[in-house]
Amino acid sequence: MEIPYTVKPRPDTGLYNAKLGIWLFLASEVMLFGALFSSYVLLRVGAEPGTWSMGLMDLLVGAGNTMVLIASSMFVVLAWAELKQGNLAGYKKWKWATIACAVLFLFVKWGYEWPSKFKHYDVWLNNATVLQEKFDEGYHEVASHGEHGDAAHGADVEKYVKKIYTTRFFKEESKDSQLAFDDAWRNGTLALSGHINAYEEAQIDVRITGWKADAGVSEDAADEALVKQLAKQDTEDAAGLRLNGGYLREKTDYDTAKRAEYALGQAGFTVALSVAGYKRVEAHPWMWRTKRVTEDIGGKPRVSSIVFELDDSHHKGIITLNAGDIKRLSAYEPKHSTFFGIYYTITGLHAAHVFGGILIMLYNMLPIGLGLWHRDREQFTNRIESFGLFWHFVDLVWIFLFPILYIL
Amino acid sequence: MSATSEPAKTAEATEEQHDEHHEHHEQSFWRTYIFSTDHKVIGMQYGFCGLAFLFFGFCLIATMRWSMAYDGQAVPFVGPLLEALLGNNVARGGVMSPELYNVFGAMHGTIMVFMGIVPAAFAAFGNYVVPLQIGAVDMAFPRMNMASFWAFFLGCVIMMVSFFIPGGAAQAGWTSYSPLASVIPTDGQTYWLIGMVMLITSSLLGAVNFIATIINLRAPGMTWLRLPFFVWAQFITAFLLLLAFPPLEAAGILQLMDRVLETSFFLPTGLVVGGQDVDVSGGGSPLLWQHLFWFLAHPEVYVLVLPGMGIVAEVIANNTRKPIWGYKYLVGSVVVLGFLAFIVWAHHMYMTGMGTVISAFFQTTTLLISIPSVIILTCLLVSLWGGSIRFNTPMLFALAFLPMFGIGGLTGLPLGFNFSDVALHDSYYVIAHFHYVVAPGTIFAIFAGVYYWFPKMTGRRMSEFWGRVHFWGSLIFMNLIFMPMFAQGMAGMSRRMSDGGATYSLSNPDNADVTVGTLSDTIMGLNVSISAAAWAMLVVQLPFIVNLFWSVKHGEKVESDNPWQATTLEWETPTPPPHGNFTKEIKVYRDPYEYSVPGAKEDFTPQAQPAK
Repeated sequence: MEIPYTVKPRPDTGLYNAKLGIWLFLASEVMLFGALFSSYVLLRVGAEPGTWSMGLMDLLVGAGNTMVLIASSMFVVLAWAELKQGNLAGYKKWKWATIACAVLFLFVKWGYEWPSKFKHYDVWLNNATVLQEKFDEGYHEVASHGEHGDAAHGADVEKYVKKIYTTRFFKEESKDSQLAFDDAWRNGTLALSGHINAYEEAQIDVRITGWKADAGVSEDAADEALVKQLAKQDTEDAAGLRLNGGYLREKTDYDTAKRAEYALGQAGFTVALSVAGYKRVEAHPWMWRTKRVTEDIGGKPRVSSIVFELDDSHHKGIITLNAGDIKRLSAYEPKHSTFFGIYYTITGLHAAHVFGGILIMLYNMLPIGLGLWHRDREQFTNRIESFGLFWHFVDLVWIFLFPILYIL
Repeated sequence: MSATSEPAKTAEATEEQHDEHHEHHEQSFWRTYIFSTDHKVIGMQYGFCGLAFLFFGFCLIATMRWSMAYDGQAVPFVGPLLEALLGNNVARGGVMSPELYNVFGAMHGTIMVFMGIVPAAFAAFGNYVVPLQIGAVDMAFPRMNMASFWAFFLGCVIMMVSFFIPGGAAQAGWTSYSPLASVIPTDGQTYWLIGMVMLITSSLLGAVNFIATIINLRAPGMTWLRLPFFVWAQFITAFLLLLAFPPLEAAGILQLMDRVLETSFFLPTGLVVGGQDVDVSGGGSPLLWQHLFWFLAHPEVYVLVLPGMGIVAEVIANNTRKPIWGYKYLVGSVVVLGFLAFIVWAHHMYMTGMGTVISAFFQTTTLLISIPSVIILTCLLVSLWGGSIRFNTPMLFALAFLPMFGIGGLTGLPLGFNFSDVALHDSYYVIAHFHYVVAPGTIFAIFAGVYYWFPKMTGRRMSEFWGRVHFWGSLIFMNLIFMPMFAQGMAGMSRRMSDGGATYSLSNPDNADVTVGTLSDTIMGLNVSISAAAWAMLVVQLPFIVNLFWSVKHGEKVESDNPWQATTLEWETPTPPPHGNFTKEIKVYRDPYEYSVPGAKEDFTPQAQPAK
């Protein structure tokens, strides 16, 4: 049994099977990405004014990656052309060049573009007048760091905030943008964008307040559970703690406290967590969500305040926001907004196609894939041609993605 | 065929083929029957799974019908089983909880559509019959064909596993409307989405294969207008799957993002669930889900129906012993229908307030699409005129398809007009309408196909007597189930109520002073008779199941390779066809349905028979 037209094109259709198959596959892919692009349009058109972010992407990096992909599309054709001339060495040269471009593209995306966004935050305030107060007081953060000697003036920072807001959601200042800004200011929907430079993290006291003897846990087992959670492995302390209660740990970190609370809860203990104080941490945290800051621990938030540096403020717009001021906080992750949701979904799906392409290209470079070249040169050449069609499509998707996500 | 060397060469080829065949048999059991790349084996795998899931999906609804007729009472026979398998929080004491009803309802739809009818009508018959009918040795991409089946199988496994996870399977209906589907806290919906991605991948691989095969592997002489209508129907169906499924895949990815990464694609600003603000960014659009979903799900209706029409056309042509009336109109209609199927989807969304202009557009396209549908049905009906009809089991099912599908189609018109849809939307009228299209429509066509091609697959016939018992039982109970639902729907009974609408009945004491109770005792009483008919329907499927398995070994042997005296190419193969299908060179000389050609010796002239 031999299936016809696996290598030679069928005269009346002009296509060999694989080429026909890949075109059909691409038609389906057009519908897949088409649906996502349509979703983008519908979500964007339906977005409330002042909620659809624009211009947050690094245009230069995006344009560079676009050029890399276009180059790879050219290399993939050159590789095929070399095969048509029977030159395997030339094929390998251009194919490696294609693979290198694809890897570079993914490296920029997954190694730089995405991770840098996960440290970039928007903060929505419960009440924007808090911000006004801070402006009036000036910026003690700036002052205390002594970078510029005197406190930044409130009005300066308000200008920054407004400028950032306007370019981000309206591109240029207009009557509409003014109205929307005032509205956002009043309603607390204004998002401050920037980085978290430092924060005050809770130090937690863990106190045993009681133990239920009838919870089905023996005294020994309870003590054993207790010992595991003690800083020092002191068994005598354990029995005392169980009977009289008292501090298990003082000023410990959140994870240790929560672990102790859970484990001891299982062993029949009642455990109380309370915040003993806050410790300043100088760090740029990743992917924090609102709950990571405002989670209630014995009546106090897990993070008492964050030191927030506004975008494009040249290190002047640094403000301290208390947990109580914060309505919502989100890194530039998918959950941030429908814009970032669709951004990560489309670019992620596209990147998955690039990644799959790399795997196929590597297969066709290894002995297992090259075996076909030695058995049937024409079929191998056809295979590379079909892959090239796919690769051009992946490139083409990016050509559409770049303007809608980076420029528009 | 004049050269003397020709027969010798053929004999040699046959011997070679035989050797190959022999070798093939020495391949392991796994390669031959499980991980096979032979389109016929894959077709039968699809067929077996499809029929099994049709039965399972029917069992789900049969259980749900108990809850609707006798709400709050323990389900007989299967109640203890439910409690044991699914836990006593969803089936305490064997009583079906509303949550379990929702699970079964969502999965009944999903299983019937995506795991039952599509595999049985499209993938099974398409895989088995299409390459044979176009004179091909196999599908264009046999390994991809196997991958398609296993992707389907994996998707089914994921769907079935989801019944047993905490909280059970998906509960938001087969349509999975957001925000409901996004905010249900159990994991069933996530499993559903992942399962769907697998099923969509399977359908993509299958559709590419079908189209490539039909375009490139037609035997010499098999021109486009010599293709049997069944092949045309499968060809258009494959295009619908190829182009309509990806938007649902996109929607599935977005909903998965909503559920796993907490994005807000389908969640509006200010969403409140259970009195609590949901911690999401908002800004999404619930309508977006509906658009993406119905962009698939309306063409999906034609995916369910077209293969059935194709099967019916084959069976009718064969058993009327005359050419199909208006073959070219059939082909034209099916092409137009395939195109129009893409631009009618929003007629499922009249109630969403998307605007009168858009409604008017979709209302117009919806009524336009009834034209090709009516042409197809009319051609098949007129084909009966003056035929010397053989009333065998496949023909009975094919004949029943015509009025049953007709009822389903005509009752769709009031749903296509947005002014009448306002009253009928989401009522039992809708349920009755689409079940008439798919159940006594497509499923009868599937039965016709099984009885018709069974002799080719096995070399034996299924029992005529039990076939007739199966047919008459199915026909009667099918109508007893679905006809009363029109009345229930017009009386205002909503779908998806685990108590069968008792909350809104006139006899509900809570409704004494309010006007919400509108369902009379007669309408409520129909719940019991419908349920009884459904269980009877289950019973009359038993002869079919037994007949199917029994006949594989013990059925009456067929006397030739062409027991129905048919014209199309699948009957030119040995019975059952070996790997590689044909043992002689296949060339096509004539149109597909040359029955009763004046002056011919016999009343059928096969496509492969050369002109004198």
